[in-house]
Amino acid sequence: MSRSVWKGPFVDSYVLKKAEKSRESGRNEVIKIWSRRSTILPQFVGLTFGVYNGRKHIPVNVSEDMIGQKFGEYSPTRTYHGHAADKKAKRK
Amino acid sequence: MSDSKICVGAIAGAFGVKGEVRLKSFCADPAAIAGYAPLTSEDGSRRFTLTLGQPISSGFAARIDGIATKEAADALRGVRLYAERSALPELPDDEFYHADLIGLTVLDTGGATLGRVRAVLNHGAGDILEIAAPGLPDAVLLPFTLDAVPTVDVAAGRIIADPPEGLFSQSPDPEPDPA
Repeated sequence: MSRSVWKGPFVDSYVLKKAEKSRESGRNEVIKIWSRRSTILPQFVGLTFGVYNGRKHIPVNVSEDMIGQKFGEYSPTRTYHGHAADKKAKRK
Repeated sequence: MSDSKICVGAIAGAFGVKGEVRLKSFCADPAAIAGYAPLTSEDGSRRFTLTLGQPISSGFAARIDGIATKEAADALRGVRLYAERSALPELPDDEFYHADLIGLTVLDTGGATLGRVRAVLNHGAGDILEIAAPGLPDAVLLPFTLDAVPTVDVAAGRIIADPPEGLFSQSPDPEPDPA
């Protein structure tokens, strides 16, 4: 069963506070969070969160198309490096 | 651009009894491996010309010129296939092959060495450079963005990084109480 709409999206309160503080300060920093269950809100767009995966904080650059998903979706808990081969990386 | 070889696949054994092999492709588009022919073994002593066949669970069934029997195909099990770096197509600006980025030295804007790129990761939220930093117990993960990585000079073998505050200090940060 999906979450009731009247409740709004779930976000741990400390994530909101940290994001607000970082936005106000305007500092270039990774906001370390442990809350993988928190929903990505529109006010997080443009910020970089370090989402804990049980071992380390994975940097997650929040963009518009990530709104509504959970932080944990971008911080896998299992490691698989694979092969570099012809894979490409793009700077954004 | 380096002239080194890049591992693009491996032979996993024979497929069927007519000399075809099971081919594992490590390419972003698995079928692209055929376009990098001729492929060589790691030491460059053997060259392989491939013809891709049907897709199978672990890659492709493929035919290699000069391999006509199951025994010959089985003998190739475990052989890694390498392509010349120059065989890969040119990329637009701000796009780089992982193979080119891995091993580059990372410097800060002041010229001090921060570490060396160990891997390039992407978990769906943009590319991340995994940097082995001397003196730190764990690798540092640096977002591969224009802000954090303003300069990439593959020819000179270096990256200039402007990392977010505190990334390379890794000070312990207590987990907050969510309540």
